[in-house]
Amino acid sequence: MQRNFPWCSPGAIGLLVLLFCLLRLDVGVSWAEQAVAYRLKWLINMSTVGDVYAKEKGLFAARGLAVDLRAGGPERDAIRELELGHAHFGVASADQVIHALAKGSPVVVLAQLFQANPLQWIYFKDRVRIDALADLKGKTIGVTFGKNDEIIMRTLLARADIGDRDVRLYSVRLDYTPFFSGRADLWPVYINSQGVEIGQRLTAAGESIGFFEPEAHGVRFVANSVVTSERLLAEQPELVERFMSALLAGWRGALDPANAAEAVALVRRYDQDTASEVLQAQLTATRPLVQPMDGPPVGHIDIEAWQQTEAMMRRYGQIDRPVNVAERLRR
Amino acid sequence: MLLRRIYQFMMIYGLGVLCLLALKMVADLSDYVIPGLDTLWHTFREVAWRYTLDVWDTLRVAMIGQVLSIGLALLVGIVGRQATWFGSFIKVAAYNVQAYPIVAIAPIIFILLGDGFLSRLLIAAMICYFPLLLSVVGIMSQPIPDIEHFYRQTGRMRWQLEVKIRAFENLSKLTTVIVGSATLAMAGTIVAEFIAAGAGIGYSIRIALYQSDLAKILVALFMIGITLSVYQGVLERAGHWVKQVWSG
Repeated sequence: MQRNFPWCSPGAIGLLVLLFCLLRLDVGVSWAEQAVAYRLKWLINMSTVGDVYAKEKGLFAARGLAVDLRAGGPERDAIRELELGHAHFGVASADQVIHALAKGSPVVVLAQLFQANPLQWIYFKDRVRIDALADLKGKTIGVTFGKNDEIIMRTLLARADIGDRDVRLYSVRLDYTPFFSGRADLWPVYINSQGVEIGQRLTAAGESIGFFEPEAHGVRFVANSVVTSERLLAEQPELVERFMSALLAGWRGALDPANAAEAVALVRRYDQDTASEVLQAQLTATRPLVQPMDGPPVGHIDIEAWQQTEAMMRRYGQIDRPVNVAERLRR
Repeated sequence: MLLRRIYQFMMIYGLGVLCLLALKMVADLSDYVIPGLDTLWHTFREVAWRYTLDVWDTLRVAMIGQVLSIGLALLVGIVGRQATWFGSFIKVAAYNVQAYPIVAIAPIIFILLGDGFLSRLLIAAMICYFPLLLSVVGIMSQPIPDIEHFYRQTGRMRWQLEVKIRAFENLSKLTTVIVGSATLAMAGTIVAEFIAAGAGIGYSIRIALYQSDLAKILVALFMIGITLSVYQGVLERAGHWVKQVWSG
């Protein structure tokens, strides 16, 4: 009896060969490059220029990494994703890292992206004058309750011996109407992104604006840093090295004034709603925050600033025990 | 009925927490990702009273929003029940308003009305209004021939009587819809508070989210669930009472 094997027909064999070729091509990519998930803290904008530059200029690929650059947002938490295995690396603010450490999360800081915190408060110079911390007295100040700007502002107020009754803290929300309409005197902004955009708009409208900078008054609260899990660092140190080397090279390249036009064009691929001129100004504002003139190299971890950040969080009850954050910073 | 609602909620909540704890154990996750029972208990003791006040604040807005929605849905339902041009126009207008997601409209509401009571109320009412309207229109458009025939034949039918007959005959359905819409009103208020308000449990959840504090969020969910269960139970009981009074 002759048996019929339909899968042995030339058509079926051809199809199998084609499928194998397609799969082989696909697998070929992953064999050549190791897939890496990198969760950012916020949406892709000028604050992530180094990350974008490293990816788009092929710096990751040159080190055998296929990096998936994932935009962040208020509902995203890179540290949680590291622990759950959804990401290999992430960007988190210092308060997030310290919160996580206080709850036993095995997170490690690999690099500090911002040497100066971009968080400042914008104000109208014709309505408000701030020469010293004491000038905050009697003002209505916008803060995002629960976020780092609240801790920073409370620290500043404590330094000036200004009690809760002497100022009004106004809950910050999505739009700037309370600030524009004068219901709040000071409003928190990121100096290198919103600060540039709103500043340009207000200046064009004939307004005179100023920025209140916490660091000028001795409050150093660390901003965004690159983090990974203790496990990945222990099990794949070589992967961590390759990733960090590409990432920091990306940041150095993006901040090099010679590459400014290219860096702006690359960010604009992701952030199409912001005009190139604004992005250009944002890049100029970002440069000294990440790579201060005559300052430490890109990615330097400022241990003292981290310790001050932990002390501030402890003082305002954000953490209930010391976490010795310095031990979790990879120097 | 009230007690049943509460213990059923407790069971569901308990199961949810147990699943989370099982996941925490299996995947060896820290308290940062999923809080342990001791952290949950500690957080509960720390924030329970504050969150209770927040939930009451939210419930107060939700209740007023729901009453407004019921009133509006009854009004539109009664006008829209007639197969006239105006009735059809009202229905189309009511449906079209609902075509826009509330979350997209909410920022405009907050810009125009600020982040106070009115914005929360409006959003709560808008979210629970449409399902109410659909049910009310459905009920009010459906004649009860056995009863209405008599009044029509004797020439005593008025629109008020027609509405009363249809409402009475469908009182169980109406009660179910109103009880269900309580959840929507509460959800609407929480969404509004989460987006931009400066008070209520939605606002507290937003702060807890900023602090990456899942324990606080779980406590808030418990408070919301238990309060909503009691509120729905009370509404159900009120529905039965109205039916008894109407039946004489």
